[in-house]
Amino acid sequence: MTLVVAHTRRSYRSYAAPMVGLGSFIAFVLLVEVLIRIGALNRFIIPAPSEIIASFGRLFLEENIVQRFIFTAAECIAAGVMVTVCGVTIGVVMQRFSLLQRACETWVAAFASAPLVLAYPLFMVIFGRNAWTIIMMGFFSALPPVILKTIEGISGTRKVLVNVGRSFNLTGTQQFWKILFPAALPTIFVGVRLGLIFALINIVGTEFLINFGGLGQLINDLAERYDLAGTYAAICFVILVSVLFFIVLEKAERWLRPVD
Amino acid sequence: MAETGRLRQAAVAAPLLSPVTLLRVAIILGVLAVWEFLADSGWLYRDVVPSLLSIGRALAALLSDRNYYFNLGVTAAEIGAALAIGGTTGLAVGLLLGGNRFLSKAFEPYLYYLGPTPKIIFFPVMIMWFGVGPESKVALGTLSCFFPVALNVAAGMRQIDRVLIRVGESFRATTAQMVSKIYLPAMRHPIINGVRLGFGFALIGTLLAETKLSNKGIGFLIIQAYSVFDMPRMYAMLIVLFVLAIGANALIGRLGGLDRIKRT
Amino acid sequence: MALAQASADAILVADDIFVQFNTPEGPITAVDNVSFKVRPSEFFSVIGPSGCGKSTLFNVIGGLLGQHQGVVSVGGETISGPHKSIGMVFQEESTFPWRTVVDNVAFPLELVGMPKGKRAERARHFIRMVGLDGFENRYPGELSGGMRQRVSLARTLASEPKILLMDEPFAALDEQTRLLLGDKVLQIQQQLKQTTLLITHNITEAVQMSDRILVMTYRPGKVKRIVDIDLPRPRTSEIVSSEAFGRYVAQIWNDLREEANRGMRDEEKHMLNQDERTA
Repeated sequence: MTLVVAHTRRSYRSYAAPMVGLGSFIAFVLLVEVLIRIGALNRFIIPAPSEIIASFGRLFLEENIVQRFIFTAAECIAAGVMVTVCGVTIGVVMQRFSLLQRACETWVAAFASAPLVLAYPLFMVIFGRNAWTIIMMGFFSALPPVILKTIEGISGTRKVLVNVGRSFNLTGTQQFWKILFPAALPTIFVGVRLGLIFALINIVGTEFLINFGGLGQLINDLAERYDLAGTYAAICFVILVSVLFFIVLEKAERWLRPVD
Repeated sequence: MAETGRLRQAAVAAPLLSPVTLLRVAIILGVLAVWEFLADSGWLYRDVVPSLLSIGRALAALLSDRNYYFNLGVTAAEIGAALAIGGTTGLAVGLLLGGNRFLSKAFEPYLYYLGPTPKIIFFPVMIMWFGVGPESKVALGTLSCFFPVALNVAAGMRQIDRVLIRVGESFRATTAQMVSKIYLPAMRHPIINGVRLGFGFALIGTLLAETKLSNKGIGFLIIQAYSVFDMPRMYAMLIVLFVLAIGANALIGRLGGLDRIKRT
Repeated sequence: MALAQASADAILVADDIFVQFNTPEGPITAVDNVSFKVRPSEFFSVIGPSGCGKSTLFNVIGGLLGQHQGVVSVGGETISGPHKSIGMVFQEESTFPWRTVVDNVAFPLELVGMPKGKRAERARHFIRMVGLDGFENRYPGELSGGMRQRVSLARTLASEPKILLMDEPFAALDEQTRLLLGDKVLQIQQQLKQTTLLITHNITEAVQMSDRILVMTYRPGKVKRIVDIDLPRPRTSEIVSSEAFGRYVAQIWNDLREEANRGMRDEEKHMLNQDERTA
């Protein structure tokens, strides 16, 4: 029943809902602007949206936000490459030696739920206050999902595909590269996507916390200078960048997933 | 591989211990041995890898330190408050979005994309709004835990097997009966899972905020240990914290897993 | 036997049912001008190829589909929404995984506020009827698919409906389970003199169980023919080897083949169109 209703109204509803969402957002921003203009909200706690928008230009001209973005992106890429290579390798090795998998899989899962980012002072001692601390923080927090999804993907290969491989007398290596790995690829990519998201969150967070590096440090800097509008603008910029990053990852994942 | 071979032989000799347990013990012992070797070698920067004995001593000192429990209490209260506020609002928003297609289409994308952004960067804003005391930590914890709870509950509500709702309708259940006897029990897993995730995020948000700016709480103690370079104490605190977090996570997960049904 | 009864005392009447769905590709008529009457204690089946609107008809009669034209009445009362005289058994797995077998079966009794002790006792009665005694306190997750479908059947029977309405209740089961469960349903139906309306696409199943069979056409779903099955009762799955049985099956297959063929061609065309659109 609901399905039918949805169908009949989709034609105009498909635009109506996002428009209402966007409209509410704009209305909210305007409301804040008005409340600040009439003095109902303290402009030294919440800067006016117009001020925030105006200070974007400053971020580009005076704060080198583009270079900072590139710096953070480079850290993410470094962590991403490391976590993909190491995570998938560890996952494959663990899956191949079932004893190892049975011994360690719960440990990895437990680590996925440990608040690893709180070890950042430790990382700072080990690696120093530099980009390596940030990259390693991103790397370690991204590792568990990549390992777990790799194991899940390979173990989850449909039995019949494995038997097809057997019936063609594939060797172990052929079986892995021609059947198991391709079949597991979509699941592995889910893990890599999750890992990259965790890496980005923790990289920006660590930059902010240790006051070093790219975008995270910029927010810390501006807040310490009590540049309110600039702080809000920088936060908005980071959110925009993260959202774009998620959208790209999602598109990539959908493209990788076979039609079934 | 050679190691597993040896282990298999060992398992035959001592059938009481399964090969998995033996491998686990071997891995733990191996890691500890390498650790101790590094600690003794002096190759690494002083105290980055303190000896096991000193970590053990720090752990014992920590667990018998009243001041530690006071700070643990502060942090626990902050996390509890964050989970209560963020969890309740998350549940309410999730039910609203899950039950209404239009609202979900209008507003859920914002939550969906804001959910996985780094929340700690909002900390300066939280300080401006709520001051430097525990309130700003609770606020950051609340913000961190709101999103996973709301998104999980909304998704869980939509994932309810449609046929179960039709069963309720065919027996002419009232709205109240539908909610109490079908919707809520059908959603118990996503709700508990949301709370589990929410707890993890509230914990991280609260503690990170404490490490950035505070004068009490576990996060403060960790950063204090860092500033005086007391590595054994820092390791001890991280160990206790990880054990507590993993334990709490497993406990909440256990609550939700008891009557899980495998459907074929 | 069914023939002997006059159509005037019909318990369920469907009169000129018409259902149209709006899809992105334009409106599709799922059910068109379908009328029939079901007599008390009768086993009535609706059979048709997939996509003929059988399940839509099921939802209309069950009162779960608001958007239709035409009238469905039970005992002279026009239905608007789920009616207490009609008990539905769904095609999909529909037990509540968080309730034990006995609590699942007691569900409709709980809704009407029957005291706990009494409803447990009633529930046990129907659990015994479907042959699940001993499994009262198990959760559905611990049962097989066939057993879970029996729990659903018992749950619907527990509401003591005047009409039992079933939508391909055996579709998800394997062949042997399906045959045994069919025997069980038939036995219960005879025992309770339960008026039953079965929606199915399985010809043997329909012929084995029914007093009358309504054959539907492929989209739009119209009444192609109503066939009287004049086979002796009690029937079990052994009847399938009799000659009369074979004749009925052949006759209905003859009607259906044409429709099923049309459905298959339509589906192929649809897929080709889709490919063109995406290309």
